[in-house]
Amino acid sequence: MDTLLSVGAVIVYVIVLTFVALRARVAREYEEFSVAKRILPLALVFGSITATYVGPGFSIGFVDKGFRSGFLFWIIGLAYAIQNISVGLLVAPRLRALKGCYTLGDAMGQKYGPRCQILAGIISVGLCTLFSAVMINAGKLVLHEMLGLPPWVSVSLLAVVAASYTTFGGLRASVTTDVFHFVLHALFLPPVLLYVLLFRFEGGAAVFFQQAVSATTEGFQSTSPLQVVSLVTLFLLGETLIPPYANLTLASKTVAVSRGSFILAGLFSALWFMVMIALGIVARTMVPPDVAQDHVLMSLVKGMMPNVGYALLLVTLVSIVLSSLNSLLNAGAVVFTQDIIRRFADLPDRVALRAGRCSTILVAGVAATAAMFVPSVIEGLLFCYSIWAPAILPALVIGLWMRQPRPWAGMLSMIVGTLVAVSFKLPFFSRTEVPPILPALACSLLAYALGHWAQGIYRRSKK
Amino acid sequence: MKVILLTLVILASLLIIASGIWVGVALIRALSLPRRPEPPARARGDDGQA
Repeated sequence: MDTLLSVGAVIVYVIVLTFVALRARVAREYEEFSVAKRILPLALVFGSITATYVGPGFSIGFVDKGFRSGFLFWIIGLAYAIQNISVGLLVAPRLRALKGCYTLGDAMGQKYGPRCQILAGIISVGLCTLFSAVMINAGKLVLHEMLGLPPWVSVSLLAVVAASYTTFGGLRASVTTDVFHFVLHALFLPPVLLYVLLFRFEGGAAVFFQQAVSATTEGFQSTSPLQVVSLVTLFLLGETLIPPYANLTLASKTVAVSRGSFILAGLFSALWFMVMIALGIVARTMVPPDVAQDHVLMSLVKGMMPNVGYALLLVTLVSIVLSSLNSLLNAGAVVFTQDIIRRFADLPDRVALRAGRCSTILVAGVAATAAMFVPSVIEGLLFCYSIWAPAILPALVIGLWMRQPRPWAGMLSMIVGTLVAVSFKLPFFSRTEVPPILPALACSLLAYALGHWAQGIYRRSKK
Repeated sequence: MKVILLTLVILASLLIIASGIWVGVALIRALSLPRRPEPPARARGDDGQA
């Protein structure tokens, strides 16, 4: 009966998803494929940003954290809200105001020259592919739980479904399906909390408060201050303006839309984390304490909701994975076409569009293959976060604010940031408790200053 | 304090549901818009000799 319900829920979900993807229509021009003709309104950009960041970590992972450490991770998660609001206030409007930009690499190219654009493109494509592999890996686990599919079938299914509508519809299809998924998350998970609180939870406000306090105390006791600092840094910087968000900024209708959507997405994340953490706290009185990691949400819904609720939860979890995956595939493909292929060949619009579509399939294929070797979802995400911030952020943010940034500074900062972040993952350094993002970011900033100073001296000596 | 915490959690849930409805309405509007006619090849910067 359960399997029948799950299959039924999946069929209904696939039908609605196909309808939404088809209504988004096939992209006919490269500008439509890459930046949706820069006409996206506030609600769609906001919905797409939130659907992209609400991945398995911010749903299943946060419920688990609420169960084990109460509001500790809500406090840490506030760094993520601050990051989004800061991007909305300080970075997104400046990025959107640049003319003729299709990617973050284009912005780097305008500020630091074509070599920096290619380097930014290579880093971005690599990270989009890695992030996609991590998402496919998470989806593989959900599909196994849901339908008992073998890993290679789940991986192929996810990659084919996400790549199919992203290949033809480009960013517009990615955004509309993201928004559909956002509606699904927003209208399913908070009502689960309300249902459990109102009809199944015994003890009311007093027991909820007592469970929250004891879980949060346990959380602070089991987490060292250095771990808290490292987590706050990762939440603050790790996902800042990664390619899917940068593409959404550039696709916003106006500068005000790009600013507003990030500010709203930041505020939304604080609310979302609170609800996920509360689900975890509520589960403490209903789920056995030795429940397997990342299974708290599934156990809670399975035990407390009617069968159809569990089937809907599993569909919501698949949609959470797909909404992050399609944005990453589209961003990876656009970056590959714009920052790498188009730097070496002057492509007419129709050929660029075709190249974008082929790149989507390529990124999906590589990510699906890599997904079979990703050891864990959280480890994979942390690795990607550790590289992105030091490699790109210092050069990008300083470049957007400085009047005449120097190419050597950008190049040196990207190379040093990437190398230090990767080398801190080697066995020699990984034994230390220091998170790679901190030294890598410091080295990247130092390298930027060094490059800026060195090029200044070089220019003066040439004069 | 106990009631305030629970109220905040319920309020957060309701705000998320409200934002889901807002975004859902915007999605329906976006999907029901008629598509603009395809621009001529020259306006796209495409000479058809790819």
